[in-house]
Amino acid sequence: MIDLNLDRISKRYFIPDASAPRHWYSSLGSHSAEMWALQDVSFQVNEGEALGIVGHNGAGKTTILKLLSGITAPTRGTITIRGRLAALIEVSSGFHPELTGRENVYLYGAMLGMRRAEISRKMDSIVDFSGMEKYIDVPVKRYSSGMYVRLGFAVAAHLEPDIVLLDEVLAVGDVAFQAKCLDRISTLRKSGRTIVFVSHDLASVYRICDRAILLDRGRIMMEGGPRAVIDTYQKLAIPNPDTQELDPDKQAECLGISFFSKEPGDVVRTGYPMVARLRYRASIALREVAFRISLYWPSGYLCAQLTSETTGKISNLEAGVGTIEFQCPVLPVVPGLYRVDLELEASGTELDLRQRCATLCVEAGKGASGDFYIDNTWDVRVEPASPESKEKRQA
Amino acid sequence: MAPEDSPVTASNTLPKTDSAIWNSADDHPAATNRRVRVIGPPSFSPGTIFTGLRTLAQYSDLFYTLSLFRLKVRYKQSVLGWIWAGLQPLALMAIYTFVFSHVAKVNTNGTAYPAFVFCGLLPWIFFSGSIGNAVNGMIAYPTLLTKMYFPREIIPLSYLAAGVVDFLIASVILAGMLMFYRVSLTWNVLYAIPILIGLGIFAAAIALFFAAVHVRFRDVGLALPFVLQVWMFATPVVYSLQAVPQRIRGLYLLDPVAGAIDMFRGAILYGHSPDPRLLGLTAGLAILSLLLAYAYFKASEAAMADLV
Repeated sequence: MIDLNLDRISKRYFIPDASAPRHWYSSLGSHSAEMWALQDVSFQVNEGEALGIVGHNGAGKTTILKLLSGITAPTRGTITIRGRLAALIEVSSGFHPELTGRENVYLYGAMLGMRRAEISRKMDSIVDFSGMEKYIDVPVKRYSSGMYVRLGFAVAAHLEPDIVLLDEVLAVGDVAFQAKCLDRISTLRKSGRTIVFVSHDLASVYRICDRAILLDRGRIMMEGGPRAVIDTYQKLAIPNPDTQELDPDKQAECLGISFFSKEPGDVVRTGYPMVARLRYRASIALREVAFRISLYWPSGYLCAQLTSETTGKISNLEAGVGTIEFQCPVLPVVPGLYRVDLELEASGTELDLRQRCATLCVEAGKGASGDFYIDNTWDVRVEPASPESKEKRQA
Repeated sequence: MAPEDSPVTASNTLPKTDSAIWNSADDHPAATNRRVRVIGPPSFSPGTIFTGLRTLAQYSDLFYTLSLFRLKVRYKQSVLGWIWAGLQPLALMAIYTFVFSHVAKVNTNGTAYPAFVFCGLLPWIFFSGSIGNAVNGMIAYPTLLTKMYFPREIIPLSYLAAGVVDFLIASVILAGMLMFYRVSLTWNVLYAIPILIGLGIFAAAIALFFAAVHVRFRDVGLALPFVLQVWMFATPVVYSLQAVPQRIRGLYLLDPVAGAIDMFRGAILYGHSPDPRLLGLTAGLAILSLLLAYAYFKASEAAMADLV
């Protein structure tokens, strides 16, 4: 069954045209420029499916969520929604600052379409989930922003929707609360709810979604498996080396990077070999060259940095375009999606720095759990029994 | 649902109640009785009113909750609290009594002027206060319009509902005043109920219309206090209908507020039953205005999030 169907949706906004002459009647809209936030966007989401939507700022992600939740109407096209839909877009925006937490639970719950009796029945569970028993009868204007969001998400988590729209709700709250929210979402997934997830957090999109859509300037650029879509999205961020205009001011630059196991295109797995192939361009001969590849966790922490300095092999480069390969016989990092920084240095001067320009997707391989994989071999040696140890055991 | 949804490992510190969220089979209605909704570009048709009312009925609990909280919020952090609902008309009564019974005399058919003017002020303050609050309240929290979805008419209508409660509080003062001036009531007092319902309907119409326009043009909020001031003197609040020249009285009574206030005062102070033609005209105009205003509001609703 199809839960959501968007049929050739377009959305137009009017933005004031600054170049047009201003009159007293300008605000009537005669001199505003058109801006199409979405153009001819069609997609479907099946029951129980999780669809991720990625794209740059201004690509039209938020507009899609607003259209689906009914906040605004499309300029053209129709949207068909089957079932109860809950939009967790900026939870807590329905709160009234003067009212207490408890009163706001009733208010926000009612805005999300819950009945008063339903809210009363779930009140204890909501308060429990938010972890704010102490402050529930305090006006929310005294709350911190984190408390706002926790209470808002707690209410939303008690909805019984068929379809859930998720924005960057996970990006707020402390680590413990984020874990709680992620737990909710996986419960939601398992219970067969349909999910539309919009996020810049590509690792979460990869983890949660079955399918993804890449939006670019209001159009669907690509639709497919989350990994392929994320890869394409990342390539948008770093210009394609073949079509890229060379920057004459730069003495040298990194043109792109790809990760694979043995042959280009292979999936990278924990505990198996990994190759990182980096293309570079140098306009002059370089001395004392160092390439650095940094891998970051989704949380933003540095996971590992690979540097060519330690090998001693690459020290001088001729002018021109070439590739260097980093080879790792056994990849120790755990499965997940890592963000990648590239850095190129010569004679102690930084020539190029590309931040978060690519992703490394590591699939499950060897090793079960933990922070990293240790390459290992196991041996068993049985010791011959000695009379001394026998005595000890008897004692 | 599946047992793996609620792991029983020691590390699972989540409270037990959580398992009731999202994964219980009872909470998830069978796919067959799901409602299908189609969202398209905004259009104006009589059907808009029908579907709008159906959605409004689904959100009736929000309407109730929001109206209740309007009252709570209004008098929060104020010492006198609810007393303000009565103080406001009392203060106006004092001013108008000074002006129109000492400075310039107004013919009241023998009733004491304070009771006479209070009878007019009560419905007028309900009308003008509700509209003023509704129109300004529409844009008081723009995030409600840009981040949340619910039928937007609930915002202005909740202010109207709060206005009704304020009216009831102030009515207690009116009752005391009637006793003080020894006004004898008749059964015709009950006519006040249909009269006020008609006034309420007309107030809803005006509030919805101006609130919808206000989202796009803030001129409404700026002009409204002035418009309401003029409007008050165009209705028989501080003077009686008899003071209006006979030849323009027909035109004058086309304003449902004027008709309602005159009939309200007649029923309360003089024990008159309202002229059925005037009651019919007032009610008819009020209902017609509400239908038009609601259709206009629903047609402009879809664009409110983009304009506010």
